[in-house]
Amino acid sequence: MNLPNLTLADFLPLFPAIIMVAGASVLLLSEVFLSATSSRAYQAVLTVVTAVAAGFAALTAMFEPAHEVFLGFGVLDPFSSFLTFVVCVGLALAALSSVSFLRKRGAERGEFYALMLFAAAGMSLLAMSNELITLFVNLEVLSIATYALTSYLRRGTRPSEAGFKYFILGAFSSAVLLYGSALLYGATGSTKLTDMVGPLSGALAAQPLLVYAGLILVGAGFAFKVAAVPFHMWTPDVYEGAPTPVTALMSAGVKAAAFAALVRVFLTLGKGIDPHLPLVLFSVLAFLTMVAGNLLAIPQRNVKRMLAYSSIAHAGYLLVGVAALFVTGPGEQFRLLGPSELTGGTPVDLARAQALRGILFYLLAYTFSAVGAFAMVSALERREDEEKGTAWDLERFSGLAQRRPGYAVAMAAFMLSLGGIPPTIGFMSKLLIFQSAVDSGLVGLAIVGVLSSAAGVYYYLRVVVYMFMRPVPEGAQTLERSWSTELTLVLSTAAVVVLGILPGPITAWLQQASRIFGL
Amino acid sequence: MSFFDTHLLNLVVFLPLVFAALVLVLPASEPGQIRTVTLIGMLVDLVAGVWAYTRFEPGGAEFQLEYRVHWFKEFGLSYHLGVDGLAISLLLLTVFLGPLVVLASTTYISHRIKEFHLALLVLQTTMLGALVSLDVLLFYIFFEAMLIPMYLMVGVWGAEDRQMAAVKFFLYTLVGSLLMLVALIAVYFISAPAGARSFDYASMYNGLLEANRQLSACRAGPEGACDSLTGLAGTLHTYGPWMFAAFALAFAIKVPMWPVHTWLPDAHVQAPVAGSMILAGVMLKMGTFGFWRYAIPFFPVAAQMARPFLATLSVIGIVYGALMCLAQRDIKKLIAYSSVSHLGYCMLGMLAVTAEGATGSAYQMLNHGVSTGALFLLFGFLYERRHSRLMADFGGIAKVMPVFTAFFIVITFSSVAVPGTNGFIGEFLVLLGTFKSDLGAAAGNPHLTTVFGAFATLGVILGAAYMLWMVQKVFFGSLTHRENQHLRDIGLRETLTVLPFIALVGVMGLMPQPFLDRLAPSTDRFIARARVGIPGAPQAEQVRVEVMSLPSNPTAAAPQGSAPLAARDVPSPRQ
Repeated sequence: MNLPNLTLADFLPLFPAIIMVAGASVLLLSEVFLSATSSRAYQAVLTVVTAVAAGFAALTAMFEPAHEVFLGFGVLDPFSSFLTFVVCVGLALAALSSVSFLRKRGAERGEFYALMLFAAAGMSLLAMSNELITLFVNLEVLSIATYALTSYLRRGTRPSEAGFKYFILGAFSSAVLLYGSALLYGATGSTKLTDMVGPLSGALAAQPLLVYAGLILVGAGFAFKVAAVPFHMWTPDVYEGAPTPVTALMSAGVKAAAFAALVRVFLTLGKGIDPHLPLVLFSVLAFLTMVAGNLLAIPQRNVKRMLAYSSIAHAGYLLVGVAALFVTGPGEQFRLLGPSELTGGTPVDLARAQALRGILFYLLAYTFSAVGAFAMVSALERREDEEKGTAWDLERFSGLAQRRPGYAVAMAAFMLSLGGIPPTIGFMSKLLIFQSAVDSGLVGLAIVGVLSSAAGVYYYLRVVVYMFMRPVPEGAQTLERSWSTELTLVLSTAAVVVLGILPGPITAWLQQASRIFGL
Repeated sequence: MSFFDTHLLNLVVFLPLVFAALVLVLPASEPGQIRTVTLIGMLVDLVAGVWAYTRFEPGGAEFQLEYRVHWFKEFGLSYHLGVDGLAISLLLLTVFLGPLVVLASTTYISHRIKEFHLALLVLQTTMLGALVSLDVLLFYIFFEAMLIPMYLMVGVWGAEDRQMAAVKFFLYTLVGSLLMLVALIAVYFISAPAGARSFDYASMYNGLLEANRQLSACRAGPEGACDSLTGLAGTLHTYGPWMFAAFALAFAIKVPMWPVHTWLPDAHVQAPVAGSMILAGVMLKMGTFGFWRYAIPFFPVAAQMARPFLATLSVIGIVYGALMCLAQRDIKKLIAYSSVSHLGYCMLGMLAVTAEGATGSAYQMLNHGVSTGALFLLFGFLYERRHSRLMADFGGIAKVMPVFTAFFIVITFSSVAVPGTNGFIGEFLVLLGTFKSDLGAAAGNPHLTTVFGAFATLGVILGAAYMLWMVQKVFFGSLTHRENQHLRDIGLRETLTVLPFIALVGVMGLMPQPFLDRLAPSTDRFIARARVGIPGAPQAEQVRVEVMSLPSNPTAAAPQGSAPLAARDVPSPRQ
């Protein structure tokens, strides 16, 4: 057997993931030496420190030129580094908000944070994967960790239901993805994305059905992971049943990583095929996801479930950006749902870079807003109510502005940001996405997106109504304060508002991060 | 310009926010301190605003007191402030209302006082920001952001159905403005080639100007001549009407024009007195201001095509609003519907595209802020005493509250445009402008101008009818309700709050010249810009928008030419 000759230099690009795996190992090992009653406060701190270190490492790597790592199984490019950074931000905030959540349930264990770190390592590596098997393995690393996290609180019925559902459907979607990869391998004779491009056009001519089936299956597998309609069925139940900080990590990190892989696979393979296929595929998905996500969220009175549907809707906006990546040019544009003359002749590569920037900024913005909102949900929920199903009812938010004005303001900022109202980061990110859609001639999709986000504002505002305009309910329990939750809220709110007004260094990072290897 | 001049608008816009930060650190248990600090903040802002008003030279450049720095460079955004004649006048109105709104709320608002004053100060900043923004996206941000404090104000401190009214208000306004955002992005893309794109008002307007002229010229020609247009003019020919529609819808909802006015009666009736005053006084003007500054100048040809339609809607609004007023039993709803009617005049005067009409429209914007703001204020005093909005619960109030009655009647006169009050000048000019306009010709029959004018005049008569009818029912006759026998007449604080309004009614009615002087350059330019879309109309020279350029490298406004995606840092060995 030919063993590859790996040197230290091959491992260096994986530094952020290695940090996270090391942190997870420390957490697991140290747990062995603790008695049931020992203090476990250090675990969250260690997780946050690990996440910050990994995020910092990713940021430094972002300004290195793109290159292949690990014999071409992965690539290190600014795109993947920025996504690792986003994942680390989500991880740090989710870990911070877990402290009081776990303490209230007496479920503080090192495994919890270790699993979070493993999942995040998987996400980081998924963003770097340049080969279909590696991609699959990393997807499984992150998925299995999140399956376990979902049913972490194993005493209740909901977590087990959620975990089981997530596992079955997740395994199914992985199988679909794997089957699609196998078909593509059969067509091209390679699993490395960059090697597949060449033979792809030949294979397309010889066996068009095989290639299309492979691409559509791979696309469907990713659509499951990013929760695009009609592959979204698992999302509300799983998001509701999982421990809230895990839901936060899922909505931010898993989504970001899955989008990264999706963009990389289809952008690379898109060079070898007719770009109309991914354009139609993602436009239709985006349309369905935006409309259905927002409409289904409207009747929800359960805030956690509402946020689950809202995360579906946000996947839809992101898919608009993805669709904009595949517009081929002002001259021979595919006129889906809209005219092309409005574009004023933006060069394709420039339009594409803008779309990519929009997607990346959106992922960052969504991470701050959604993780903050979930942290707020977890601050208000009580374990006793979970079985009754009232833990996340809108009523929980009644009169919050009188009881905890700071919390109410923070939640209002998250809701407005998710709804895309200025001056929040959510507005800026929606602006970038829709701008790139208009630029690429997808005016129809942009209008649908804008209208469905107006519908979305209705349910986000309802939370604000309850917080500010309803009286405090009789016999409301006093809210426990916890430094970690409050720190999460402060950090997320600051990011949501400040970056919404002064995008500052982020714009320079985005400029850099829209460089994808091999394009 | 001195350092102070360049930063004056920043000062005016952000002073309320600074005071909001001060209020934030005050303890919530000290309502007196909170009110005082807010009032001082509004007064200081008033001083700064009046200073800005006096620094504005009527004969000078179009946009004055400019300030511009980079902001989100890659995206063509700059932080750009500046005022023209209309903006500085509306700015004056806004800072004028600020302290009065605080005074009007001292007893009206009794719970969550700190939050209320915070909302008030933030609202002030967003409204002023929207008025002085010269970057269209900056305007949009302020335009949207002002919904949030207003929404809270209606929803938290409003009357019984406040939540429904607040959500309706928010969603209504939002739907329109989101569509405008898409159109705005489209304008951003078509108005400049890649690399030079900018959201700046000047670059957007000037970028569209030449194409608008071409389009206008070919529309004067034979049927179908425009179909062969290429480039930007062709794009404007095909999509201009849609983009104009998106802008117009957003602003029409804000104005509000019939039939998208239905949020207004609800919001006004439910809002606390401060909310109603600001809503009527300033926020509705954002709609007319938007038409004036953005919708019509950007798409003069589409606007020209839509003029008869929009003018019809305005006239319907005038008459419908007046008729609705006659049917009301709720006083606050009556004042709200009178706003629909009065704003109809603003729109009609603007759409007439005559010097008289536009001047009247701009003047009417100020008048409406003064008179309707004062009506809501006065009604608020009555409501505090009696907690009823129904006319039937009053009657003969003049006997117990003579001073109040006198004030109310003066404001009523202003509202129904009695000569000698400010309302007269505005409405007279609008009617004159309408009769002199070519609205009928634009609609296909020159005689229709008279019809527009006649219906608008009918609105004036109806306006007098419903206001005087209301005054008669509330203030005169015998005291029919025992509860009303011991109503207190208005006190010192309340008188002090009303007096500035009374003074302004007189000053603006008898000495309109200083105000008109500042509006004049703005109206001239508005007409010149609107006429770009009228084939064969005399074209003026000063149509282009001239603004200061960015401090250094002005070309850095948009995404750089070289695409990062295309950049190959280190080529793959396999490529």
